[in-house]
Amino acid sequence: MKRSYFFTTILLSALVTCGCSKQVGHAPEINSVSDISGHRVAVVTGTCYELQMSKRDDIKLTRFNSESDQAQALVLGQADVAVNDEVTFNAKMMKDLGFKMAFKGDESYPAAFGFRKSETELLGSFNQFLAEVKANGTLDSLEGVWLKGDGKYPDPLRIYPNKGTGEPIRIGTAGATAPISFRIQEDWFGIESELMYLFGEWMGRPVKLMSYAPTSVMMSLQTGDIDIMMGCVFVTEERKEVFNFSDVYHYYHPAYFVKDMDANAGGGLWESIKRGVRRNLIEEGRWRFITDGLWETVKITLLSILFGSLLGMGLCAMARSRRRALRKTASLYNDFMQGIPMLVLLLIMFYVVFAGTSLSSSFVAIVAFALNFAAGAGGVFRNALDSVPRGQTEAGLALGFTRLQTFFGIVLPQAVKLGLPMYKGQCVSLLKGTSIVGYIAVHDLTRASDLIRSRTFDAFLPLLVVTVIYFLLAALIGLILNLIFNKSRAI
Amino acid sequence: MISVRHLSKSYINPDGSKFQVLKDVNCEIGPGEVISIIGPSGTGKSTFLRMLNLLEHPSGGEIWVDGENILRKGYPIHKLRRKMGMVFQSFNLFEHMSVLDNVTYAPCKLLGMSREEAENEAMALLRKVGMAEKAGVSPSTLSGGQKQRVAIARCLAMKPEVVLFDEPTSALDPTMVGEVLSVMKQLARESGITMLIVTHEMKFARDVSTRIFFMNEGLIYEDGAPSQIFESPVHSATKAFVQRIQKLVFDITSADFDFYDMQSQMAQFCVKYDIAGKRDAIAHITEEMTQVVLRDYWPLHVVLSYSGQKEETALAFMMEGRETSPLQDEGIDDISLMMVRAMSKEIIEEKTVKGFRVKVIL
Repeated sequence: MKRSYFFTTILLSALVTCGCSKQVGHAPEINSVSDISGHRVAVVTGTCYELQMSKRDDIKLTRFNSESDQAQALVLGQADVAVNDEVTFNAKMMKDLGFKMAFKGDESYPAAFGFRKSETELLGSFNQFLAEVKANGTLDSLEGVWLKGDGKYPDPLRIYPNKGTGEPIRIGTAGATAPISFRIQEDWFGIESELMYLFGEWMGRPVKLMSYAPTSVMMSLQTGDIDIMMGCVFVTEERKEVFNFSDVYHYYHPAYFVKDMDANAGGGLWESIKRGVRRNLIEEGRWRFITDGLWETVKITLLSILFGSLLGMGLCAMARSRRRALRKTASLYNDFMQGIPMLVLLLIMFYVVFAGTSLSSSFVAIVAFALNFAAGAGGVFRNALDSVPRGQTEAGLALGFTRLQTFFGIVLPQAVKLGLPMYKGQCVSLLKGTSIVGYIAVHDLTRASDLIRSRTFDAFLPLLVVTVIYFLLAALIGLILNLIFNKSRAI
Repeated sequence: MISVRHLSKSYINPDGSKFQVLKDVNCEIGPGEVISIIGPSGTGKSTFLRMLNLLEHPSGGEIWVDGENILRKGYPIHKLRRKMGMVFQSFNLFEHMSVLDNVTYAPCKLLGMSREEAENEAMALLRKVGMAEKAGVSPSTLSGGQKQRVAIARCLAMKPEVVLFDEPTSALDPTMVGEVLSVMKQLARESGITMLIVTHEMKFARDVSTRIFFMNEGLIYEDGAPSQIFESPVHSATKAFVQRIQKLVFDITSADFDFYDMQSQMAQFCVKYDIAGKRDAIAHITEEMTQVVLRDYWPLHVVLSYSGQKEETALAFMMEGRETSPLQDEGIDDISLMMVRAMSKEIIEEKTVKGFRVKVIL
């Protein structure tokens, strides 16, 4: 065990070194739209810059899922140019990461809020609210705070009481990026978030902001899990077919970013690690994302194991039953659970089975994982029980034990011993499997790293931290199960 | 004590056809009797035994124990099983417990014995079967014979009135059969426990039993004292079974025949018919005779035979068309022949219709 930890440490240090070292390379001269011809261009999926760039066939286009991935590609030399909003990256951040804005584009793109087609009443109210804030200068002052592009925001940030009565207005965002919308602990900031808090005050209702994985926010709007979609949503003709858009609140302009060859954050490896820890974990109390995510991951894993195991025992009893119908049902269930990807099952649970209910995402995740875990655990239990020879039962019965006494006193202790290693494996793979719950807006450990990355654009440190935590959790599961097992053997 | 009436058992095969293992079994078993159940394989001996404690459920008939019908609905069979122990072919020791715990587990849980009392009794029983030294070890470290002796001790710890032995030596290496049989012999003579033993050990059955059931075709064909069954059986099937002679035949047509294959087949024959004690003698005699004494006398027929009733093993060497004994020929290796004589009871030289035969009786 000691040895494996030793190697892990070496591996992780190697990763840190790779992540922090800046590659030296030739910097292309890029000063205008025509200069990017023949270069590798990084865009973020779903933005209008992706659409704009995909029309050009003289460049090599690479699509990324988030601004942090895009920035990282630029820094690591996987792309020559990155295209995004002029306000996405602020000056301080660019200096820290080692890239700069080369020039601004002339285009302008309208951004608005998405509403479900059937929600015309809410849309009408919002447009009326928007017209008012435009007229009384509130929107102008918000733009002045958030969109001036220097990365300096008021300190302390304005926190809205968010009181109101009645049903909360539920708002989902795909990107959690400053200065559009971002979270610091429980509160949301950024121009769109503030607009939403103000809209809530105007309506006299509380608002509830939630962050989703990019692909699931639109689905959530359609199924009614949220009422309004935000996150720098650009108005396009295709999207108009599916959603209603509010009036435009702002026109965004593209900017072209390149690697800054002169940038040198300074200091050695140790300095850069210290800087990474400060930026990713300490500033704005970002470690809270990690602890909250850890708690969520542990909760989902443990409860799924608990309920999944109980259900698995039922399945195991069915599979070993004398009734053909019960055996068939159990085997059908297993085939079904093994035949569909966990992510698909999770999405079906969230968007179909529990759609429109007020059950929390965590609860849905626990249900989905427990259902899936039951199939695996049931198989493990059955295998273990089947590996105890039939003669053991007969010997117990022949001595005068009842069926129940024979099962619990003689067969089960032997089955536990045989099945534990496989069961441990199932539990660890469940733990790892929970990293997809971010798709249904659960803020687990993996999602925590995404949220930090979306603020700091630093890929390595947040991922490194969650890697280590997952690794320790997996070891802990093995330890706990061994403890329970050794206790059961002592009885 | 035990009364069995018109007991039958049939299975439905996967193809839908019916297979009847037991047709109509009737018997009365009194206290203290030691009954061996013998007969060809597949005639329902084990099935019958397993029905007496309902590990197998009969399709028809009645089983009465101490005046109670144990097949009636709601009969507390687990209580009967406490008085009716069973020893299995595959031992079935509890692998997750020590030898001592195997013996104390049931008395502690079922008879309400204190741990100390149960351990004292268990040690006494283990001493009786010669396994006291191994009390603390795991069953997985024991040999088959040792496992079976522990299984007997485990069974006796419940102080049973009846013990059912289901082929207790069939899964054992031939060298370990003896130790288990001697424990059972002692039990039969001293304990006064009623014993029912399904076995292929004819000599053992004959020595320890008060009665023998010969089972054939799902029936108790013949039921009688050992002397009657073995010496003057009534039914021809019984006679054929107890008098049957097992044979293994080889034709040696050249000096280059596969000697080692013959040796290995003979060794397997010895294991199969429980004459493992004679395995080495058979191997030596075969080697001396085929490789030295009769080396140039091919074609040669070699027949290894065993008679269960007479308990006699013989090796015959037959030379076709010969009129005189090869052992009288010039140039025969006298030293090898002396060794063969020393290892055998008797050497018979005889002329037959086909040729000349040298028969070595072991």
